[in-house]
Formats: sequence, C-alpha cells, structure tokens
Amino acid sequence: MLEVKNLTVCYDTAMLLNEVSLKVNRGELVGLVGPNGAGKTTLMRAISGLVLWERQMKRGTRAGNITLTGEVYFQGQRIDGLPPHRIARMGLVLCPERRRPFSELSVEENLKAGAYRVRGRRAYRDTLELVYQMFPVLQKRARQVSATLSGGEQQMLALGRALMTRPVLLCIDEPSTGLSPLIKGELFAKIGEINRSGITMLLVEQDVRQTLAMAGRSYILSHSKIVAQGKKDELMADETIRQSYLGL
Amino acid sequence: MLANILVTTLVNGAAYAMLAVGFSLIFGVGRIINLAHTAYYMLAGYSIFTLVRVAGLAYVPAMALSILLVTVVAVLCYKLLIDPMREHETTVLIITIALALVFQELMLKYFGGHFRSVPGVAEGSLSILGVQVTRQQAITCAVLAVILAAVWLLLHRTRFGLAVRATAQDMEAANLMGMDVSRIATLTAAVSAALSAAAGALVAPLNILEPHMWLNPLTIILAIIVLGGMGSIKGSIYGAAIIALSESLVIFLIPQGSFLKGAFSLLIMIIVLLIRPEGLFGVALEGER
Amino acid sequence: MIRVWLLRLYRDFKGDILALPGRTLACLAVLALFIAPLFIRDTYILRIITLTAVYAVFAASWDLLSGYVGQLNLGHALFFGVAAYTSAMLNLHLGLPPVLTIPLGALAAVMAGLVVGIPCLRLKGQYLSLATLAFPIILKGLVYLFKEYTGGELGISGISRLAGSRLVECYIALALGAVLCFLIWKITDSNLGLIFHAIREDEITARASGINTTAYKLLAFCLSGLFAGIAGGFFAHYMRLAGPFTLDVLLSFQAIIWTIFGGITTIYGSVAGVIILFPLMEILRAFPEIRMLLFAAVIVIVLRFMPEGVVPWFLDRVEKECPRCKERNAFTRTRCRVCRVSLSEREVRARTTTRA
Ligand SMILES: Nc1ncnc2c1ncn2[C@@H]1O[C@H](COP(=O)(O)OP(=O)(O)OP(=O)(O)O)[C@@H](O)[C@H]1O
Ligand SMILES: [Mg+2]
Repeated sequence: MLEVKNLTVCYDTAMLLNEVSLKVNRGELVGLVGPNGAGKTTLMRAISGLVLWERQMKRGTRAGNITLTGEVYFQGQRIDGLPPHRIARMGLVLCPERRRPFSELSVEENLKAGAYRVRGRRAYRDTLELVYQMFPVLQKRARQVSATLSGGEQQMLALGRALMTRPVLLCIDEPSTGLSPLIKGELFAKIGEINRSGITMLLVEQDVRQTLAMAGRSYILSHSKIVAQGKKDELMADETIRQSYLGL
Repeated sequence: MLANILVTTLVNGAAYAMLAVGFSLIFGVGRIINLAHTAYYMLAGYSIFTLVRVAGLAYVPAMALSILLVTVVAVLCYKLLIDPMREHETTVLIITIALALVFQELMLKYFGGHFRSVPGVAEGSLSILGVQVTRQQAITCAVLAVILAAVWLLLHRTRFGLAVRATAQDMEAANLMGMDVSRIATLTAAVSAALSAAAGALVAPLNILEPHMWLNPLTIILAIIVLGGMGSIKGSIYGAAIIALSESLVIFLIPQGSFLKGAFSLLIMIIVLLIRPEGLFGVALEGER
Repeated sequence: MIRVWLLRLYRDFKGDILALPGRTLACLAVLALFIAPLFIRDTYILRIITLTAVYAVFAASWDLLSGYVGQLNLGHALFFGVAAYTSAMLNLHLGLPPVLTIPLGALAAVMAGLVVGIPCLRLKGQYLSLATLAFPIILKGLVYLFKEYTGGELGISGISRLAGSRLVECYIALALGAVLCFLIWKITDSNLGLIFHAIREDEITARASGINTTAYKLLAFCLSGLFAGIAGGFFAHYMRLAGPFTLDVLLSFQAIIWTIFGGITTIYGSVAGVIILFPLMEILRAFPEIRMLLFAAVIVIVLRFMPEGVVPWFLDRVEKECPRCKERNAFTRTRCRVCRVSLSEREVRARTTTRA
C-alpha cells in the first residue's frame, strides 16, 4: 500500500534521511522505532508531503534549502512531489507529533475540520459517532476550547480528528508522549482497535516494548538509516540490535 | 449633540469594524500584516468616483464594479508580491507599505491632491427614534451591518469558514486534514480586500476622497486590532465600537478635538494593552512560542 | 614602536578587510564619502551627504532594537522626534549650545525609550509592534494641541547652527555617523549582542538560562533611543527646525524601509540601505510627479527578488561561507582562508554524509 524507495532528505548540508526504504501492506500495523533524533518525524513529514511544503514556504531562505530524492508510492501512485493536502485527500493521513490541535477551536469544530474532505452530512455524522464511541471523553468535552484540554485528551482529539478524515493509511507520530501509564495502555488498545477496524497503520513510538508487541513488523531507524526490520522475535533475537537500538 | 455622537459612532464604528475584520482575517490565515489594507479602501473610493463622475454609472453598479476591481488588484498583489515573500515577515511589511505608497502616488498623479466627493444614493434625512440622520448615513450603516453579519456567518457556519479558522490556528495541521492552505489563503486575501473595498465604497459618499486617506484609518484599525485581540473577529467588532465612540466623544466634546482623535484612540489601546496584553478578546495561550 | 603598531594595523587590515570583497567595498564607500565633500562646493549635495550620515545612525539604531532584539518597533520616529524637540526647546528657550542640547536631547530619547519600553515589556510580537506605532502618533497629537510651545504644524524654528560652514557640519555628521554606526555594530558583535540574539530567538529559553530578559530588553530600548536621539538632535540643529515631521509615521517607516532594503540584523545593511536609498530619493526629485511612485516601485521590485535585502544578496554572490569553520571567504577562493578546507561545491556535497 505504501512503498518508500531510497528516500533521502537533506536540510541545507545536514542529511536527515539517508536512502530510507520501507513498505507497508494493506491492513498491517507497522512500527517504526529508533533513538531521539533518528529522523522518524522527518520520515513521516516527508511521506505526508510536509517536507516539500516546508521547502516551498521557505524558498529563498537558508532554511528552505531542502533536497528530497527518492520515491514514495501510495496505492500504486507516486506521491512524492504532491502537496500535502492532495496526499491527505488520497487517504494517507498523518497524526502529527505533539498533537497539534486547532487550539482556539472547540473539540467539535476540530473534529469537523478533520472531516473537511468528507462529503455529505450522513457520512460526517456516522464518522463522528464512531469517534465519539471510541473516545467518549471527546463527546463530553465537545464544546470546550481544545487548548484547555489535558494532554491525554488532546491526544485523543488528535487521533479522533485524524480518524474523521476517514484515512486508508494512518501514520501516527508518538501518540503516547506525556501520558500516564494507565491512559497509555488505553490508547494503545484503541490504536489496535482502529487497526483491526481495517485502517492500515504506521506507528512511530518511543515505547519500544509496546510497539514491537503490537506491530506485525517493525523498522528500526537510527542515524537517518534503516538499520533493521522484522517481526518482534526476529528483532529481539539479535543481541546487538536488542542492546544498542532497543535497549531491552 | 448626543444624537450626533451616536450617529457618527455608528457609521464610523461599522466602517472601522469592517476594515478591521478584513485585516484580522488575512493576518490570522497568512500571518501577514497588510499595511496596504486601507489602500484598497482608498482605491475603492476613487474607483467609484471615476465610474460615477466620469463614466456616468449609477452608484450601485459602480459600487459593485469597484469592489470587484479592487479585489482583483488586491489578489494580484497578493499572489505576485506578498505570497512569495511570506517567510520574510519584515519584508512583507515593507512591501505592503510600498504598495500603499504606490497606490497613493498613482491616485495623486491621476486625480491630484484635491478633495473629491462622490454623490450618494439617497438625499434628505429621516428621523429614527427622534434622532435625525441623513438617509445616506442610515443606508450605509445598515448595509455595513448586513455585510458584517454575513462575514460572521461565513466564518462560523460554512466549510470555508471552518477551514479559514483552522488554517489560522495551525497551517501544517490544516494541510494534513486535506485543506488546500494556499488556496484558502488566497481566497481569504480576496475576502479581506473585498471587505476593505466595500467599506471604502460604502462610506465614500459620506467622506471626502484624497490620496492620503489611507494612513489615518490604518493606524486606527491597527489600534482596533490590538485592542480587540489579534485575529479575533469578535474583538475587532468590539474594538471598532470602542474606538469609534471615543473618537466621536473627543471630536464633539473637546475643542480642537479632531487633532487629538487619533492620539486618543491609541491611548485607549495602550491602556487596554497594559491591563490585558493579549487584547480584550485574544486568547492567551501559555507556552505558545 | 609606532612602526610595529602600524605594521600590525596593516596586517589586520589586509587579513580582515582586503580578504573579503564586501568589507573592501564598504571601506571604499566610507572613504569616498569622506573625501567627496572636499571637492564639492554645492551645498545641496553637501546637505544630502550630511543627512545620509544622520539617517544612517537612525536606521542602524532601529536595526539594533528591531533586528537584533527582535522587538519590531514601528514607531521609531518617537526617539528622533523627542530628541529633536527637546534639543530645539533647550536651545531656543535656555540658549544652550548644540554640544549640550544634542546629548540632552538624546537623554530625553532614552527616557522615551523607558516610557515605551516599560509598558511594552508585557507585549509580544505583533502586539508590541503595533503598540509602539502608537506612541509617536500620540505625541504628535499633543504637539498639535499645545501649539504655543511646540509651534504646531510649523514646528520650532530659529535654532542655532551646528557650525559656521556647511562643510564643517558635513564632516561633523560624517565623523559622528561613522563612529556611532561602528559603535552600534560593535555592540551587536559583543556579548551583549549575543544576549540580544538569544532573546530574539527564544525569550523563554533565554530567561530560563538566567538572562534577565526584562532588563536587557529595556536596555535595548534605551540604547536604541540613545542613538536615534543623537541623530534626532543633530537633525534639528542641522535643519534649524524641529517639526511634526520628525514624529511622522512615514519617518518610522523610512527607518524600516532603509534597514530591510539593505538587510535586517546586520547593521551594515541598514547603513547601506540609507546610503543607497536616501540619495536615490533626492535624485528622483528630477521627476517630481512620480518621485514617490518610482521610489516605492524600486523597493517593491528589489525586495521581490532579494527578500533578505540588497547587502546579504550581494554578499552571497561575492562571498561564500566555509562549511566547516563558518568563516566567510571571497568567491574567488577555492580553499577556506582559515581552515584550508576545500570550498568547491562538488566536494562539499560529497563530504556531506550523515551527521553521526
Ligand atoms: N528543519 C530542520 N533543520 C535542520 N535539522 C533538523 C530540522 N528538523 C529536524 N532536524 C534534525 O534532524 C534530526 C532528526 O529529527 P526528527 O525530528 O526526525 O527525529 P525523531 O526521530 O523524530 O526524534 P524524536 O524521537 O526525538 O522525536 C534531529 O537531529 C533534528 O535536530
Ligand atoms: Mg519525532
């Protein structure tokens, strides 16, 4: 469904991604783990078109000196070079790092904004109901301004908003930062649930144990390169990988 | 006296509110401080003047045509000069000042520095609740109020409005939700300019036209925006009411007040800022950088 | 002794100035400005040179506050006007000579800096800009209101001259301009400049690292007010007039236009901006009808293609930065003059690998 081939991203003279290749098949939940600063977020942003968008926004400045080479295919179509909103409309949706709610909008308006590309009142209602079912808190807080939600609630809002777009492939970047262990467990349960409901997922996480357990396959990204991939057992079997990248 | 204060406040307040709302919109969505905003207001005035006095059109079609023309000019300026510079915040500032100067000088060249006036739609006056107002004032005020209400509905009840507000909050996230941010920004620029032009067209019969007429309203709407809280539509409207009221009070109650009206509005702005640094209706988001 | 010193000076000059085309050109320009008045008898041109020097200080002081500390001040004319009016009044009513009135005027501008700075400390970003815009307009309203003291629209005239001849005045302006601009540049290049930079980039983090951002921001307002004030007082004595023009919004905008045209956060950019644009504006007097139009058009078009300003654009063409030690080099060099690393585009690319 998603195929990344030799993706290289340079910001000015720094190389943030070096010939990264990865593949996500329909229905899978693929994990992506790695140390801080490995380039996971950059990979997500490159796939969803934000890197190129940033380049276009900052053209003419030093920060806009970004090069991106390689290919990204989504459902057989080449998407590197497409603007982010086109990619999102195709069904590849990123739930960004640090949640990024529309802070002055209410919870309900946030969800409505998520449903921007969903046509028709019925479709909108159904999806909203689904999201409310999955995250009952959101319904309770529907009228509250989203900036005043707690961190955990904001995360649920971010996920809910991403779901409102009716994604085919959902990329989630670090959903568990700042959550209490209890809520974290709940959140991972929800993520599993979403995946089982038929949405393919690419999950970036710092909680390696959880991610490996949940994901069918996982990739390990380190120093802007993919250093290993495989099922949990395969990765855990390799002593070097286990110690130097997973810390387990 | 009281009636005079009231009427002036209403008419000016509505016009200021409309200018301020337009300014707020493009500031919110594009983070652009468009100092050429009131130049569109001036352009609309001159365009009506030309169409009515020279081409002999009636006021209403002239108005519609002017708004359209000015909006087209504004969108062209946005696309060619402002949008490509977006990353350079201060450069945008200068470019918009320079644009305003260009328009001012063009008007000076073609129309000269004399005061000009535009005929209104209606003559005579009527009395509302015992207050004498000219028909023109009443019509201007009513139309301004209707347009303001329409803008509010546009922002809060439509898909486009939601996209505008979402984009103003977080462009990247809006992108990820499938919103075509640059198209939304262009449309917002158009709406913003159209509002400015409409305000100019509507008050043209009440005011005199001259090429420097953009500078005063510019400082006043800046005060309004800051007073109301940047990017807040509600704030712009309340801010406009406050400033317009204070202005008419100063003009009618203090001898030589017209020298002081700008200074007084700005003083109010500074006082409000000292008490509430984020403006009356701005949201102070802690930790936002 | 003197010979050693001179030799050292020469070596520094060769190493630090001749090595870079940008600096060489700047030196030549300053030199030309200093020599030119000797051959010019035309008072009109002398006047342009003098005012260029005065405005250069004014623009540089704006860059110090707005470019370096990031407190985008839209009402910079306040400092200029306060100093001009103060100097004029002191001179006219108390009969003080310019040597005293200009520093006192500058002191008043520093006070104005405090008056603006203290309320503005609570404000951020665009709120701050727009609030600062208000102050000179308020003051201008007061000037019109108290006509008896301020002369209203006509301003205060009949102040004493700086010096006997226009030529001497011109040299005083040039010397003062050069010294003050150099001083401002030195400030931005010092530790203080580093702190200012930190505040601009991220005030919260700067505060968290133990920098008293409040005090430094106030200091920036005062310093900027001081330099702009000196320019303002000088201007009043030179023109022998302090009028409401010195508080005009358009004068504030001029400072911004000059600086951004030249290149913000560089100091030399703002000076270059004045040196290019102010005489240009005078040359354009040849076309009085479309003068402002041409001026504005030039700015729009130039900035459209050089969004970071003329000087940075030019420097990017004639100099390149060493990728390793970040020293600047003339574009003709193939190896860095400091660390000897190769500067050729291809090798830089090849060397770029993963940062590990
Ligand atoms: N715009 C940028 N310009 C230059 N360097 C950048 C930029 N954005 C990120 N980086 C650098 O690229 C590296 C990778 O960043 P990225 O955010 O992708 O890491 P990450 O794997 O998501 O880390 P984390 O787990 O901490 O979120 C980091 O070293 C970061 O400092
Ligand atoms: Mg990350």
